[in-house]
Amino acid sequence: MNPTAEQIQKINHFSKVPKGMCEKIASVVEIQECQPKDQLLTEGDTGDTMVLVFQGQVEVSKNMMVKTASGITTSRKPIIRLETTDPPPASDPITEPTVFVVEAPAFGIGEFSLVLDDAIRTAHVHAMTPVKYGILTLEDFSNIVKDNPEIGGSVYFEVAKSAVQNLATASGDISNLTQAFFFALTR
Amino acid sequence: MNDNASPDQFQDPDVSTTELDEVIHANKELYDKLNKLPEIEALEAIAIEEEEDHDKGHKPHPFLVSVEKLKDFYTENELIRYASWSILLILISTTALTMIEYDMFKESVSGQVGKTFIFGGDEPNWLDTFFHTFWWSIVTFTTVGYGDVSPVTHLGKFLTIIIMLLNFGVVTLLGGAVASVLVAKRLTGDDTLDESKFNGHLVIAGWNSYVPSILKLIDANLDATDIIILVNETDRDIIQRATTGYERLDIHHIPENFTHESVLRKAFLEKAGTFMILPDNSGLLPHEEPDEDKTVLTCLTAKSISESCNVIAHVLDTETVSHLERANANEIVIPDDHVPHLLAKHVTDPGVPQFFDNLILQEEKDKGLQEVKIPRSLNKQSHNKISAFYKFKYNWLLVGYAIRKAGFSLDDQMGESGSPLIRSMIKEQLEGAGVNLTSDEHVVVEINPPDDYKVDEKHSALVLR
Repeated sequence: MNPTAEQIQKINHFSKVPKGMCEKIASVVEIQECQPKDQLLTEGDTGDTMVLVFQGQVEVSKNMMVKTASGITTSRKPIIRLETTDPPPASDPITEPTVFVVEAPAFGIGEFSLVLDDAIRTAHVHAMTPVKYGILTLEDFSNIVKDNPEIGGSVYFEVAKSAVQNLATASGDISNLTQAFFFALTR
Repeated sequence: MNDNASPDQFQDPDVSTTELDEVIHANKELYDKLNKLPEIEALEAIAIEEEEDHDKGHKPHPFLVSVEKLKDFYTENELIRYASWSILLILISTTALTMIEYDMFKESVSGQVGKTFIFGGDEPNWLDTFFHTFWWSIVTFTTVGYGDVSPVTHLGKFLTIIIMLLNFGVVTLLGGAVASVLVAKRLTGDDTLDESKFNGHLVIAGWNSYVPSILKLIDANLDATDIIILVNETDRDIIQRATTGYERLDIHHIPENFTHESVLRKAFLEKAGTFMILPDNSGLLPHEEPDEDKTVLTCLTAKSISESCNVIAHVLDTETVSHLERANANEIVIPDDHVPHLLAKHVTDPGVPQFFDNLILQEEKDKGLQEVKIPRSLNKQSHNKISAFYKFKYNWLLVGYAIRKAGFSLDDQMGESGSPLIRSMIKEQLEGAGVNLTSDEHVVVEINPPDDYKVDEKHSALVLR
């Protein structure tokens, strides 16, 4: 089953795309379902698909090297949770969130795949509730943009916006890590 | 309810004595009725039985308790143990010799004591003889050996040999125990400091020729703390001689190794205002150099007891400075650091070194350069106003300010920048590695600032009195 144009428009990246164009995008996306704990994206993998989440809650996490009592180990650290509000998740999440939960009517993840061939996934994403989602491939999207160049402007603007935000956060992280490094050295 | 209300405020002056009696009487009747209820009687009976059982089952006989205490005292106290053996040996030898050499001791009593027998009247009886033998026993035991009386029979002499040999061991042990008690008492020193009076005090670890001068200067400044604890292993007599004669100071001495955490805790370091670590000359010969590693180790120990402890370390070797910085010492004093400047000033500005000599070395009571708190009402005022205040009110010259700068906080520095995950990871990992996320408060000096320089509550005035 394909999503409706309204469902596509609820996703931030496509909010400025006219309804008629959203129908075209909806026609190439198939709604699928997955259960809690199912992995939607795996960190380090390459992919040319964007995941569009229409209903449910997902957790974004990263593998981190941490020092524990038993030595240095790699552990999966949750970064953020994303939850749809229209419609809300069908059930409560399997575990209580320990990180901030961002709410949106619907959302897309892995948006850089709409720009880059074989973009590397920077984090794990797995379902915390039953999730209804669709897959938009780079090939399908590129074909739509080729026929309707006006879509590209608004979608790529949103993708560029998240890229800039990520860059600002990364810059803050580098600054924090540098300070922490010097702080640790001088103690 | 108002906690400050006096008890009188709770008494209703309108209640008459008759009314009070009525209330008491009514309650008495109520209690009497309650006490007659079978349930209450049954409960009381159970309570009494339980109390009796408890007394029988758990409370040992007072005699057994005393024996137990005596036993513990005997086992723990070396001096008491050897003294008991000595008394037992004296009593055994007295009894044995009284029995074996009765006639000899009896004759000796008659010959030496004359006719003033305590127990037997004209003739010495067995008690007089026993006492005389006891006298011989003590004289022998203490190795005094007057020789006024001694056994004559072979058996008596043989027993005396055994007693004397045993006595040799016991006396040695007893002497050793007495010496060890005295040494322990000396080493433990002023061990029972009253914790309640120690707060914001100064602890000085280490002893050298600077200490008396430091004490003299602190004594002269009425605003400085008057309670000082010296921690060093220098001979107590030297410390006592050097610490008498101060009008204001209340000086205590802990004669123990200041690198030990337990010793620093005895000096209530966690409550101390300042902890000064000096090169320690305790027990060193004149040509020997103090061990600077002790200063670093002590600084680390102090900071592990209390991170906020204000540590001032004095070092002779500049190589130790970096170690002390890592150990988080608040202030590091390096001797002779200013000597080249002073020497040069003798050439360029000959009055300046003289000024310093007068200012620092000849500090009198309430005179010289001092740091004073700025009145709260002068907060946010400009330097020229504060300067005028001190000049006209006290005739003091305001030369600058000491400013307490807050320590650096990594948490504040990071703020909300970057991702929360990385920030929490940094904090978690640094704390896990024992790195404190904030550095200590430190003091900076602002000398002769411009007139419009604004002063806040972190400033205190450096005045020439």
